[in-house]
Amino acid sequence: MAADHISGYASGLFALARAEGVLDRVEDELFSVAQAVERSGELRSTLTDPELPVDKKQAVMDELIGGRASSLTVGMVQLIVGQGKADDLPEIVRAMLEMAASFRNRALAEVRSAVPLDDETVKRLTSALEKATGKKVEVKMVVDPSLIGGILARVGDTVIDGSIARRVQSVRQTVNSR
Amino acid sequence: MDLLALLLPLAQEETEEGSSGLEILLPPTNELIAGIIAFAVVFFFVWRWAVPAINRSLEQRQAAIAGQIEEAEKAKTEAESLRSDYRAQLDQAKTEANRIIDEARGTADQMRADIVAKAEQEGEQIREKAREEAAAEKSRALAEARSQVGEISVDLAEKIVGEALDAEAHQNLIDRYLADLERL
Repeated sequence: MAADHISGYASGLFALARAEGVLDRVEDELFSVAQAVERSGELRSTLTDPELPVDKKQAVMDELIGGRASSLTVGMVQLIVGQGKADDLPEIVRAMLEMAASFRNRALAEVRSAVPLDDETVKRLTSALEKATGKKVEVKMVVDPSLIGGILARVGDTVIDGSIARRVQSVRQTVNSR
Repeated sequence: MDLLALLLPLAQEETEEGSSGLEILLPPTNELIAGIIAFAVVFFFVWRWAVPAINRSLEQRQAAIAGQIEEAEKAKTEAESLRSDYRAQLDQAKTEANRIIDEARGTADQMRADIVAKAEQEGEQIREKAREEAAAEKSRALAEARSQVGEISVDLAEKIVGEALDAEAHQNLIDRYLADLERL
Protein backbone atom coordinates (compact mmCIF):
# COMPACT_ATOMS: atom_id res chain seq x y z
CA MET A 1 0.00 0.00 0.00
CA ALA A 2 2.86 2.39 0.89
CA ALA A 3 4.50 1.76 -2.46
CA ASP A 4 1.12 2.28 -4.14
CA HIS A 5 0.50 5.70 -2.69
CA ILE A 6 4.11 6.79 -3.32
CA SER A 7 3.83 5.59 -6.89
CA GLY A 8 0.47 7.34 -7.25
CA TYR A 9 1.74 10.69 -6.03
CA ALA A 10 4.89 10.33 -8.17
CA SER A 11 2.80 9.61 -11.28
CA GLY A 12 0.67 12.65 -10.60
CA LEU A 13 3.66 14.94 -10.16
CA PHE A 14 5.34 13.57 -13.27
CA ALA A 15 2.20 13.97 -15.37
CA LEU A 16 1.62 17.53 -14.17
CA ALA A 17 5.22 18.65 -14.75
CA ARG A 18 5.25 17.04 -18.15
CA ALA A 19 1.91 18.59 -19.11
CA GLU A 20 3.19 22.01 -18.08
CA GLY A 21 6.42 21.45 -20.00
CA VAL A 22 8.61 22.19 -17.01
CA LEU A 23 9.72 18.68 -16.21
CA ASP A 24 13.45 19.40 -15.91
CA ARG A 25 12.99 22.40 -13.65
CA VAL A 26 10.42 20.70 -11.44
CA GLU A 27 12.69 17.68 -11.15
CA ASP A 28 15.60 19.81 -9.96
CA GLU A 29 13.47 21.81 -7.54
CA LEU A 30 11.72 18.77 -6.09
CA PHE A 31 15.07 17.02 -5.73
CA SER A 32 16.42 20.02 -3.76
CA VAL A 33 13.34 20.09 -1.52
CA ALA A 34 13.55 16.33 -0.95
CA GLN A 35 17.24 16.67 -0.01
CA ALA A 36 16.42 19.46 2.44
CA VAL A 37 13.69 17.37 4.10
CA GLU A 38 15.89 14.28 4.18
CA ARG A 39 18.92 15.98 5.66
CA SER A 40 17.25 18.34 8.11
CA GLY A 41 15.90 16.41 11.10
CA GLU A 42 14.31 19.58 12.46
CA LEU A 43 12.42 20.28 9.24
CA ARG A 44 11.32 16.64 9.00
CA SER A 45 10.08 16.51 12.60
CA THR A 46 8.21 19.81 12.09
CA LEU A 47 6.48 18.51 8.95
CA THR A 48 5.56 15.19 10.57
CA ASP A 49 4.50 16.60 13.97
CA PRO A 50 0.91 15.33 14.46
CA GLU A 51 0.20 18.17 16.91
CA LEU A 52 1.08 20.89 14.40
CA PRO A 53 -1.83 22.02 12.14
CA VAL A 54 -1.42 21.46 8.41
CA ASP A 55 -1.59 25.17 7.59
CA LYS A 56 1.40 25.81 9.90
CA LYS A 57 3.38 23.12 8.09
CA GLN A 58 2.43 24.59 4.73
CA ALA A 59 3.48 28.00 6.01
CA VAL A 60 6.90 26.59 6.92
CA MET A 61 7.32 25.10 3.43
CA ASP A 62 6.09 28.31 1.83
CA GLU A 63 8.71 30.26 3.74
CA LEU A 64 11.37 27.77 2.67
CA ILE A 65 10.67 27.58 -1.08
CA GLY A 66 7.94 30.15 -1.72
CA GLY A 67 9.95 32.78 -3.58
CA ARG A 68 12.58 30.46 -5.04
CA ALA A 69 10.79 27.54 -6.67
CA SER A 70 8.22 27.53 -9.44
CA SER A 71 4.59 27.82 -8.46
CA LEU A 72 4.00 24.28 -9.74
CA THR A 73 6.71 22.86 -7.49
CA VAL A 74 5.42 24.84 -4.51
CA GLY A 75 1.88 23.65 -5.25
CA MET A 76 3.01 20.03 -5.46
CA VAL A 77 4.93 20.22 -2.20
CA GLN A 78 2.05 21.93 -0.44
CA LEU A 79 -0.32 19.24 -1.72
CA ILE A 80 1.89 16.48 -0.31
CA VAL A 81 2.35 18.30 3.02
CA GLY A 82 -1.37 19.13 3.14
CA GLN A 83 -2.23 15.45 2.77
CA GLY A 84 0.01 14.58 5.76
CA LYS A 85 2.51 12.78 3.53
CA ALA A 86 5.53 15.00 4.24
CA ASP A 87 7.43 12.05 5.66
CA ASP A 88 7.15 10.32 2.28
CA LEU A 89 8.24 13.36 0.30
CA PRO A 90 11.81 12.10 -0.43
CA GLU A 91 10.48 8.72 -1.57
CA ILE A 92 7.78 10.32 -3.73
CA VAL A 93 10.31 12.65 -5.37
CA ARG A 94 12.75 9.77 -5.96
CA ALA A 95 9.99 7.73 -7.60
CA MET A 96 8.99 10.71 -9.72
CA LEU A 97 12.62 11.26 -10.83
CA GLU A 98 12.92 7.58 -11.71
CA MET A 99 9.74 7.87 -13.81
CA ALA A 100 11.11 10.95 -15.59
CA ALA A 101 14.44 9.23 -16.25
CA SER A 102 12.63 6.14 -17.47
CA PHE A 103 10.54 8.35 -19.74
CA ARG A 104 13.83 9.46 -21.31
CA ASN A 105 14.97 5.82 -21.50
CA ARG A 106 17.45 6.34 -18.76
CA ALA A 107 17.97 5.16 -15.17
CA LEU A 108 18.22 7.54 -12.24
CA ALA A 109 21.58 7.41 -10.45
CA GLU A 110 21.60 9.17 -7.10
CA VAL A 111 25.20 9.84 -6.21
CA ARG A 112 26.25 11.06 -2.80
CA SER A 113 29.68 12.39 -2.12
CA ALA A 114 31.31 13.79 1.01
CA VAL A 115 32.74 16.67 -1.00
CA PRO A 116 31.54 18.36 -4.22
CA LEU A 117 32.71 16.68 -7.43
CA ASP A 118 34.04 18.56 -10.45
CA ASP A 119 32.43 18.12 -13.87
CA GLU A 120 35.17 15.85 -15.11
CA THR A 121 34.74 13.49 -12.18
CA VAL A 122 30.95 13.46 -12.64
CA LYS A 123 31.40 12.63 -16.33
CA ARG A 124 33.80 9.80 -15.49
CA LEU A 125 31.45 8.57 -12.78
CA THR A 126 28.48 8.61 -15.17
CA SER A 127 30.23 6.53 -17.78
CA ALA A 128 31.52 4.11 -15.10
CA LEU A 129 27.99 3.70 -13.73
CA GLU A 130 26.60 3.15 -17.24
CA LYS A 131 29.22 0.53 -17.85
CA ALA A 132 28.61 -1.14 -14.48
CA THR A 133 24.80 -1.18 -14.78
CA GLY A 134 24.51 -1.55 -18.53
CA LYS A 135 22.03 1.37 -18.64
CA LYS A 136 22.11 4.99 -19.64
CA VAL A 137 21.96 6.94 -16.41
CA GLU A 138 21.04 10.41 -15.24
CA VAL A 139 23.16 11.42 -12.28
CA LYS A 140 21.68 13.44 -9.44
CA MET A 141 24.47 14.66 -7.19
CA VAL A 142 24.09 15.16 -3.45
CA VAL A 143 26.86 16.48 -1.19
CA ASP A 144 26.52 14.51 2.03
CA PRO A 145 29.18 15.19 4.68
CA SER A 146 27.80 12.31 6.77
CA LEU A 147 29.64 9.97 4.38
CA ILE A 148 32.93 11.38 5.87
CA GLY A 149 34.74 10.49 2.64
CA GLY A 150 34.21 8.62 -0.63
CA ILE A 151 31.08 8.14 -2.78
CA LEU A 152 27.80 6.23 -2.58
CA ALA A 153 25.84 5.60 -5.77
CA ARG A 154 22.33 4.15 -6.02
CA VAL A 155 20.83 3.06 -9.34
CA GLY A 156 17.39 1.55 -8.82
CA ASP A 157 17.85 -1.12 -6.19
CA THR A 158 21.62 -1.34 -6.73
CA VAL A 159 23.79 0.45 -4.17
CA ILE A 160 27.54 0.86 -4.69
CA ASP A 161 28.94 2.17 -1.42
CA GLY A 162 32.57 3.32 -1.28
CA SER A 163 32.14 5.69 1.64
CA ILE A 164 34.19 5.95 4.82
CA ALA A 165 30.88 5.96 6.75
CA ARG A 166 30.14 2.46 5.44
CA ARG A 167 33.58 1.23 6.51
CA VAL A 168 33.16 2.81 9.94
CA GLN A 169 29.76 1.15 10.20
CA SER A 170 31.32 -2.17 9.25
CA VAL A 171 33.99 -1.77 11.95
CA ARG A 172 31.30 -0.80 14.44
CA GLN A 173 29.30 -3.93 13.66
CA THR A 174 32.43 -6.08 14.00
CA VAL A 175 33.22 -4.52 17.39
CA ASN A 176 29.65 -4.90 18.63
CA SER A 177 29.34 -8.50 17.49
CA ARG A 178 32.30 -9.61 19.63
CA MET B 1 -34.70 -61.47 165.40
CA ASP B 2 -38.02 -61.02 163.56
CA LEU B 3 -36.61 -62.66 160.35
CA LEU B 4 -35.42 -65.81 162.20
CA ALA B 5 -38.79 -66.20 163.72
CA LEU B 6 -40.38 -66.06 160.29
CA LEU B 7 -38.06 -68.77 158.58
CA LEU B 8 -38.26 -71.36 161.32
CA PRO B 9 -41.88 -72.57 160.80
CA LEU B 10 -41.13 -73.00 157.05
CA ALA B 11 -38.23 -75.38 157.82
CA GLN B 12 -40.46 -77.46 159.95
CA GLU B 13 -43.15 -77.94 157.17
CA GLU B 14 -40.49 -79.20 154.64
CA THR B 15 -39.35 -81.93 157.02
CA GLU B 16 -42.94 -83.32 157.48
CA GLU B 17 -43.56 -83.78 153.68
CA GLY B 18 -40.26 -85.71 152.89
CA SER B 19 -41.78 -89.22 153.08
CA SER B 20 -43.94 -88.92 149.79
CA GLY B 21 -41.53 -87.02 147.47
CA LEU B 22 -41.27 -89.64 144.61
CA GLU B 23 -44.98 -89.64 144.30
CA ILE B 24 -44.89 -85.98 143.86
CA LEU B 25 -42.20 -86.31 141.27
CA LEU B 26 -43.77 -89.11 139.16
CA PRO B 27 -47.04 -88.50 137.36
CA PRO B 28 -49.91 -90.89 137.82
CA THR B 29 -49.78 -94.00 135.60
CA ASN B 30 -52.74 -93.16 133.45
CA GLU B 31 -51.31 -89.78 132.80
CA LEU B 32 -48.03 -91.39 131.99
CA ILE B 33 -49.61 -93.79 129.46
CA ALA B 34 -51.62 -91.03 127.91
CA GLY B 35 -48.49 -88.92 127.72
CA ILE B 36 -46.54 -91.76 126.10
CA ILE B 37 -49.29 -92.28 123.55
CA ALA B 38 -49.49 -88.60 122.86
CA PHE B 39 -45.78 -88.43 122.53
CA ALA B 40 -45.83 -91.38 120.12
CA VAL B 41 -48.52 -89.76 118.05
CA VAL B 42 -46.66 -86.53 117.97
CA PHE B 43 -43.40 -88.38 117.21
CA PHE B 44 -45.09 -90.30 114.43
CA PHE B 45 -46.40 -87.16 112.84
CA VAL B 46 -43.09 -85.44 113.18
CA TRP B 47 -41.15 -88.44 111.85
CA ARG B 48 -43.62 -89.06 109.09
CA TRP B 49 -44.19 -85.52 107.69
CA ALA B 50 -42.24 -82.89 109.51
CA VAL B 51 -38.81 -84.50 109.28
CA PRO B 52 -39.08 -85.25 105.52
CA ALA B 53 -40.40 -81.78 104.96
CA ILE B 54 -37.56 -80.33 106.97
CA ASN B 55 -35.14 -82.60 105.11
CA ARG B 56 -36.54 -81.57 101.77
CA SER B 57 -36.30 -77.96 102.76
CA LEU B 58 -32.74 -78.47 103.91
CA GLU B 59 -31.89 -80.33 100.73
CA GLN B 60 -33.47 -77.59 98.65
CA ARG B 61 -31.55 -74.97 100.52
CA GLN B 62 -28.37 -77.04 100.20
CA ALA B 63 -28.99 -77.41 96.49
CA ALA B 64 -29.72 -73.70 96.20
CA ILE B 65 -26.55 -72.86 98.09
CA ALA B 66 -24.59 -75.33 95.94
CA GLY B 67 -26.10 -73.71 92.85
CA GLN B 68 -25.19 -70.30 94.11
CA ILE B 69 -21.67 -71.49 94.88
CA GLU B 70 -21.46 -73.01 91.42
CA GLU B 71 -22.72 -69.75 89.88
CA ALA B 72 -20.27 -67.81 91.96
CA GLU B 73 -17.51 -70.15 90.80
CA LYS B 74 -18.69 -69.72 87.24
CA ALA B 75 -18.82 -65.94 87.62
CA LYS B 76 -15.41 -66.02 89.16
CA THR B 77 -14.12 -68.12 86.25
CA GLU B 78 -15.72 -65.76 83.78
CA ALA B 79 -14.26 -62.81 85.63
CA GLU B 80 -10.86 -64.49 85.54
CA SER B 81 -11.29 -65.13 81.86
CA LEU B 82 -12.40 -61.53 81.21
CA ARG B 83 -9.52 -60.22 83.27
CA SER B 84 -7.19 -62.43 81.30
CA ASP B 85 -8.74 -61.16 78.07
CA TYR B 86 -8.49 -57.56 79.23
CA ARG B 87 -4.89 -58.08 80.23
CA ALA B 88 -4.16 -59.64 76.86
CA GLN B 89 -5.93 -56.75 75.10
CA LEU B 90 -4.09 -54.27 77.27
CA ASP B 91 -0.80 -55.94 76.44
CA GLN B 92 -1.76 -55.92 72.78
CA ALA B 93 -2.75 -52.27 73.00
CA LYS B 94 0.53 -51.43 74.71
CA THR B 95 2.42 -53.34 72.05
CA GLU B 96 0.44 -51.57 69.31
CA ALA B 97 0.99 -48.21 70.97
CA ASN B 98 4.72 -48.91 71.21
CA ARG B 99 4.75 -49.98 67.59
CA ILE B 100 2.90 -46.80 66.54
CA ILE B 101 5.25 -44.66 68.61
CA ASP B 102 8.26 -46.40 67.08
CA GLU B 103 6.77 -46.01 63.64
CA ALA B 104 5.98 -42.34 64.27
CA ARG B 105 9.49 -41.82 65.59
CA GLY B 106 10.88 -43.50 62.51
CA THR B 107 8.67 -41.41 60.23
CA ALA B 108 9.64 -38.26 62.09
CA ASP B 109 13.32 -39.15 61.77
CA GLN B 110 12.85 -39.81 58.06
CA MET B 111 10.95 -36.55 57.62
CA ARG B 112 13.60 -34.65 59.52
CA ALA B 113 16.29 -36.22 57.38
CA ASP B 114 14.29 -35.42 54.22
CA ILE B 115 13.73 -31.81 55.29
CA VAL B 116 17.38 -31.35 56.11
CA ALA B 117 18.41 -32.93 52.81
CA LYS B 118 15.92 -30.80 50.89
CA ALA B 119 17.05 -27.65 52.69
CA GLU B 120 20.66 -28.47 51.90
CA GLN B 121 19.74 -29.13 48.28
CA GLU B 122 17.80 -25.87 48.01
CA GLY B 123 20.63 -24.03 49.67
CA GLU B 124 23.06 -25.49 47.18
CA GLN B 125 20.71 -24.55 44.31
CA ILE B 126 20.44 -20.98 45.62
CA ARG B 127 24.20 -20.75 45.94
CA GLU B 128 24.64 -22.20 42.47
CA LYS B 129 22.07 -19.77 41.03
CA ALA B 130 23.74 -16.87 42.81
CA ARG B 131 27.10 -17.99 41.39
CA GLU B 132 25.60 -18.26 37.90
CA GLU B 133 23.91 -14.86 38.21
CA ALA B 134 27.11 -13.29 39.47
CA ALA B 135 29.02 -14.86 36.58
CA ALA B 136 26.34 -13.74 34.10
CA GLU B 137 26.34 -10.23 35.58
CA LYS B 138 30.12 -10.12 35.39
CA SER B 139 30.01 -11.37 31.82
CA ARG B 140 27.31 -8.84 30.95
CA ALA B 141 29.24 -6.01 32.57
CA LEU B 142 32.40 -7.06 30.73
CA ALA B 143 30.53 -7.28 27.43
CA GLU B 144 28.94 -3.89 28.04
CA ALA B 145 32.28 -2.36 28.97
CA ARG B 146 33.86 -3.96 25.90
CA SER B 147 31.04 -2.68 23.71
CA GLN B 148 31.32 0.82 25.15
CA VAL B 149 35.08 0.79 24.67
CA GLY B 150 34.53 -0.41 21.10
CA GLU B 151 31.91 2.27 20.44
CA ILE B 152 34.14 4.98 21.86
CA SER B 153 37.10 3.69 19.86
CA VAL B 154 35.07 3.64 16.65
CA ASP B 155 33.67 7.13 17.36
CA LEU B 156 37.17 8.40 17.98
CA ALA B 157 38.47 6.70 14.84
CA GLU B 158 35.58 8.17 12.84
CA LYS B 159 36.30 11.63 14.15
CA ILE B 160 40.05 11.31 13.60
CA VAL B 161 39.56 9.98 10.07
CA GLY B 162 37.07 12.74 9.26
CA GLU B 163 39.45 15.42 10.50
CA ALA B 164 42.44 13.83 8.83
CA LEU B 165 40.82 13.75 5.39
CA ASP B 166 42.15 16.71 3.38
CA ALA B 167 41.29 17.53 -0.22
CA GLU B 168 43.96 15.20 -1.56
CA ALA B 169 42.72 12.31 0.60
CA HIS B 170 39.15 12.92 -0.58
CA GLN B 171 40.30 12.95 -4.19
CA ASN B 172 42.22 9.70 -3.61
CA LEU B 173 39.09 8.09 -2.18
CA ILE B 174 37.03 9.28 -5.20
CA ASP B 175 39.68 8.04 -7.66
CA ARG B 176 39.83 4.66 -5.96
CA TYR B 177 36.02 4.43 -6.05
CA LEU B 178 35.95 5.27 -9.75
CA ALA B 179 38.73 2.77 -10.48
CA ASP B 180 36.85 0.04 -8.61
CA LEU B 181 33.62 0.98 -10.40
CA GLU B 182 35.33 0.89 -13.80
CA ARG B 183 36.61 -2.58 -13.05
CA LEU B 184 33.10 -3.94 -12.41
